Amino acid sequence: MAVAVWSALAGTALAHPMSEQNATFVQGLQGSAAAPFVYLGAKHMVTGYDHLLFLVGVVFFLYRLKDVVLYVSLFTLGHSVTLLAGVLGGIRVDAHLVDAVIGLSVVYKGFENIGGFERLLGFRPDTRMAVLMFGLVHGLGLATKLQEFALSKDGLVTNLLGFNLGVEVGQILALAFVVLALAYWRRHAGFARWALVTNSLLVSAGFVLAGHQLAGYVLAG
Amino acid sequence: MPDTAPQAAQEPPSLRTVALATATAFVLAAVILVTAVLPAEYGVDPLGTGAAFGLSALADTRPGVVAPATGSYRSDSAVFVLRPFEWIEYKYRLEEGAGMLFAWEATVPVRYDLHGEPNAGPEYAESFESADRQEGRGTFRAPFTGIHGWYWQNRTTSEVTIRLWTTGFYTAIHEFFEGGSTSRTLDDDRASGGDGS
Repeated sequence: MAVAVWSALAGTALAHPMSEQNATFVQGLQGSAAAPFVYLGAKHMVTGYDHLLFLVGVVFFLYRLKDVVLYVSLFTLGHSVTLLAGVLGGIRVDAHLVDAVIGLSVVYKGFENIGGFERLLGFRPDTRMAVLMFGLVHGLGLATKLQEFALSKDGLVTNLLGFNLGVEVGQILALAFVVLALAYWRRHAGFARWALVTNSLLVSAGFVLAGHQLAGYVLAG
Repeated sequence: MPDTAPQAAQEPPSLRTVALATATAFVLAAVILVTAVLPAEYGVDPLGTGAAFGLSALADTRPGVVAPATGSYRSDSAVFVLRPFEWIEYKYRLEEGAGMLFAWEATVPVRYDLHGEPNAGPEYAESFESADRQEGRGTFRAPFTGIHGWYWQNRTTSEVTIRLWTTGFYTAIHEFFEGGSTSRTLDDDRASGGDGS
């Protein structure tokens, strides 16, 4: 079952490349086009299952909207810094490696949610720092992907800021459903027991994502 | 909605449970990777599961590399001399999905517009690319059945010469200019189209 689902999801070499149509649009663009980039940023989050798994892990035990917004904003902050610096500074990192780290970030959140760090290290690393760090890595990965296209210098900063705004909007949209579902589930007695299973599955999915990308790095170079 | 206790208030699972859960997660991930992801994505099939379930076929498929075409293979070349502010349109009839290799060059930069007109509405044109350039080259694949080609305009005050070369699966050539147009249906053989200069 898990095998079938995974095969259906993993249709492409990169965790979530831009669609051909969107890539053509980005390449042909001259000047600022904030609205399309907000849309692309939101789409990137809503349709990227690696991002979605990470977000499920992040909000699993958050139940106040205020906390959800704080964590999401920290992620966006990290994401914005490296996306802007990466594209403007011409910094590139292998996309497979970045996507592997994104997979490991899912493992990290799942492991933290089952209390792994408390049991193993005796304390819980500051989740806010971790979320910020992973935001930085996610942004770097996207900066690398965006540079594969011949981006017009014209209006580039506006477009990138628009993209980051879209990332924030997309996360909030996706999380609205996740938070509602979790809030409902949390009221039921089975939550604590199934929380362990769910987060273990997150860890597993993260390992698959990371393994997929590491294999891609080794095999496809 | 009642405030339920956040995670901090709950006792985390025991170290044994954490270790068991993590190990299970890792083993499950390894099994999925080796039996399904590696064969399907990269054609690496250490246990033979990719071949057994037909997953390896996914790794062998490269969509879009070969696109079979109907219709005759043709080549065409044309030379246009445009006086100041004169324009010309030169288009090929292509079926949806039919491809064409092209290259054109001008003596100075010209305004161009690569566009297509579907059969249904001659009034309607869809522009694919438009700019001021001195040359263009590439592969064109018709997104719909109709006539597809270039509009060029000389926006300088001196004469411009434009040369065009194409190869593809087109069936007719249409030329439009100030005050008229010509159309040629190409013979259904392998001979190349005429020189349109």
